[in-house]
Amino acid sequence: MAQNISPEQSGGAGGSSKHTDDSLPVKDNHAVSKRLHKELMNLMMANEKGISAFPDGENIFKWVGTLEGPRNTVYANQTYRLSLDFPNSYPYAAPVVKFLTPCFHPNVDLQGAICLDILKDKWSALYDVRTILLSIQSLLGEPNNESPLNAQAAMMWHDQKEYKKYLDAFYEKHKDT
Amino acid sequence: MCDFDALWSDALKIFPVLGGINAPDEPIDEAVYENVCRHISNLGSADALTAIIDLEVQSAIRNTIVPSFWKQLYAGVDPSELQGDALADQSVSDKNKLFAQFIEAINELHVGYRSLERIKPRLILLNEKANANSAKPVSSSTSSSSIKLMQQDGIKTCVRDAMLAQLPPTFSTIVGAFYWVHYRLFTKDTQLASTTIDSDVFDELPCTGCNFDLEQCCCQKLTEMVNKTNMKLFEMNLTDRLAGSALTALIKDKIKEHINDTCLGIFDRSHLKQLETWLNDVIIVWLTNIFKGWIEKDTHDSIKAPASLQSFKVKLTYFMYETFAQNVISQFFSIIIDYPDSTPAIDDLKICMEKIDMRAYLTETLRSSLEARILHPGVNTMDILTGYVAAIKAIRHLDNTGVILEMVTAPIKEYLRKRNDTVRRVVTGLTEEGPTDLSEELAKGESIKDGKDNGTDEFSNWENWEPDPFGIDPNVMRYNSSKIMRSADIISMVVDIYGSKELFMVEYRNLMADRLISQLDFNSEKEIRNLELLKIRFGESLLHSCEVMLKDVTDSKRINAHIHGDGNCNANDQLFDISSLIISAQFWPSFNKESLQLPEEIENEFKKYTKAYEAYKGNRTLNWRTVTGRVNIVIEVGNRTMEMTVPPTQAVIIYHFQNKNEWSLDELSTLTKVPATALRRRISFWQNHGLITETSPGIFTLIEKETEKSQFEEMSITEADEEDLESAMASASDQREEELQVFWSYIVGMLTNLDSMPIDRIHQMLRLFASHSGGVEFTQDELKHFLQRKVREHKLLFSGGVYQLAK
Repeated sequence: MAQNISPEQSGGAGGSSKHTDDSLPVKDNHAVSKRLHKELMNLMMANEKGISAFPDGENIFKWVGTLEGPRNTVYANQTYRLSLDFPNSYPYAAPVVKFLTPCFHPNVDLQGAICLDILKDKWSALYDVRTILLSIQSLLGEPNNESPLNAQAAMMWHDQKEYKKYLDAFYEKHKDT
Repeated sequence: MCDFDALWSDALKIFPVLGGINAPDEPIDEAVYENVCRHISNLGSADALTAIIDLEVQSAIRNTIVPSFWKQLYAGVDPSELQGDALADQSVSDKNKLFAQFIEAINELHVGYRSLERIKPRLILLNEKANANSAKPVSSSTSSSSIKLMQQDGIKTCVRDAMLAQLPPTFSTIVGAFYWVHYRLFTKDTQLASTTIDSDVFDELPCTGCNFDLEQCCCQKLTEMVNKTNMKLFEMNLTDRLAGSALTALIKDKIKEHINDTCLGIFDRSHLKQLETWLNDVIIVWLTNIFKGWIEKDTHDSIKAPASLQSFKVKLTYFMYETFAQNVISQFFSIIIDYPDSTPAIDDLKICMEKIDMRAYLTETLRSSLEARILHPGVNTMDILTGYVAAIKAIRHLDNTGVILEMVTAPIKEYLRKRNDTVRRVVTGLTEEGPTDLSEELAKGESIKDGKDNGTDEFSNWENWEPDPFGIDPNVMRYNSSKIMRSADIISMVVDIYGSKELFMVEYRNLMADRLISQLDFNSEKEIRNLELLKIRFGESLLHSCEVMLKDVTDSKRINAHIHGDGNCNANDQLFDISSLIISAQFWPSFNKESLQLPEEIENEFKKYTKAYEAYKGNRTLNWRTVTGRVNIVIEVGNRTMEMTVPPTQAVIIYHFQNKNEWSLDELSTLTKVPATALRRRISFWQNHGLITETSPGIFTLIEKETEKSQFEEMSITEADEEDLESAMASASDQREEELQVFWSYIVGMLTNLDSMPIDRIHQMLRLFASHSGGVEFTQDELKHFLQRKVREHKLLFSGGVYQLAK
């Protein structure tokens, strides 16, 4: 399939590749849900530490994910909930991933939207739920301060001690919402 | 004026009852009669006289005739002896005594009755004359109609009333005795015909009719007496009212007796026809005999008598059916076991059930007898299954709607579900050598009916629709509502015990794997035939892996032949022959996780084989499962030589002893990578053969001398057999545990992300998302047990009806 582009190849033509994804013919639901079932099984069997996801109810197209902040970062010992919405054209189009737990992070806005290349222009059908979650997990420890969604966080990032203090307060305040 | 005294004495002559019942009854002169009539009518006291006579008659009946009848009846009999069911225990002579007394009492009653009856026409005559002479006929006629005596059958009614009012509780016993003797007399001829006693012996026996010696047989006399008594009873209109219940009871007894005598335990022929004939020929003829008096005496009643006889007959026929049906039902278990030889009995029962509603009784009785006979721990699962299959066949023959079947077999199914070897037994039954019910059924080769097909059938075939049988608890009906289920064939019924065919197919696969691995020279043709038959029934997809397994076996043979034929494995530098069974692990059930480290020299041989295989098959390689298989070994110890076929573990153990005579358990365990406990068990095989002994705890030594060998010779064979039986496959519970582990990771996944959930939601989620991995069914009950276990292991928290992960 033509849209099965590796991230490296599509690096230059980011905008156009996104466009291609949308215009793809919608695959029949069955194949998609079959793939999601399979992904779920792999995820369950892999039993990876720190990341997890499961369909939120009977609809296999809506998942809830959970990830723990990576160790040795300011996010250690924090747990974040995410929502994953899979389009009908999955895996040829990226799922919409958002933080449910408010997350103070340079690349996450206050609505939970995430700025991550593989979820946007660098999406590939080779990615799956597991890799998405792993990418987000690593993004927590290594933010891209060049294109911040949360300018305050990006500015504070260089002072890790201060940042940690602020983050902990923020997390404590919001973790149950 | 007249002389009142003279008149009274004349009146007394006409109506002796006025002077008490015992007053002599003499013929009367016409003159006296005329005289009294005239006087009475002159006095205008006809009404008064009638009333007086009526009262007298009634009191005579109440106070004299009836009590004397009872007295006569019980003369010399202690009423307490007749209490209850004493009739059955009484000897023939006792009955004869009662019989005679009854006849006498009836005679006397009859005499009294006749003398009273004679009064009536005279009184009527008197009244008529008096009225003719009197000036006021109207009033007299009205008043006389209110007098009991003047009504038709007045005296009969009176007598009956009095009798019933004073009825002692044991009366029916006596009447019963009377009819019992009567019946004996009547059936004398039939009995004679049916008895096969030698005539010599027979001569010495008392007459079967009257129980007197044959020379003095008085059957004739007795029969006459009985007939007379019967007539008298009819005349007094007492037969039905007074003796009826006793008569019916007696006949019912006789019917029961007859059914027990003729039908008990005989199922291979029909009895109903014969019974009906018997009822007609014996009982009804006898009854007609009793009622005959009526027909002869009163011609105008001759129509009525057969009518009552007719209704009697209908009643008795039904009773016979009922008794017979009860009889059959009580032995239905034996009928089931004897099926199909017992088909006639079932046919009989079928006819009975059309006439009488025995459904509830049948299901109740059958359920309890099944429970008592087969549903207890002492019965083999195979026997229960056989019983179940027979029950299905037999009951289906009886009732093809399947409702009774469903109700009766429900407890069997439930019970079988609790036995853990049921599935295995069913599968064995399906595929076993030799004829079993199940394998025969399988050979019929009908495919399991699809639900859909039946659905359309029902609509297109609506003209043949039959309502559900009545008299069934609607709850039960709803419970097993699906008609499809009820009409399913036997294999489906058996498979239905568990509700899914997958389970059976998994078990079949396991058994087949066992067979294939343990019997290296198995009968592949038969397996293939079985497989084809099963495929017809259960569909291709479920049996796909079995097919692959069979193909693996044939492929392995080919590959073996190829590798051996090839130059790669030269016979010269080869220590021993290897023939492999190459299996596609994906399609085989999982093996148990035992391991075994082969000695180096042997392992090298395997490596050679693997190389040869790799060369032959290109990019494939072999993964040896060293635990399963067979090793042909020759052991030479001292001056003994033993040749045997043993499992690899045993072979490896003895192999190690060839270099070193003494091993500690731990050493051997590390060398072979077999856990010490398992190793000890394997070593015991050689201990039994007298080759190895445990010199001190944990130390095993080879015995080189030939001692006590013979003692173990026989034992060894059985031991080896037992070893054979050990399955190479992971046991069902192990497999289940693995499946549960899969579910557990799903549960952890969902609880991590969705926090807390009630059990039904967890169950629903698992069904939705986890059942894809292997199509395993998981009941909510099972899930509950599983979750509770996890709660006990502190992996889950349970509070407020929801589960969550323990932090």
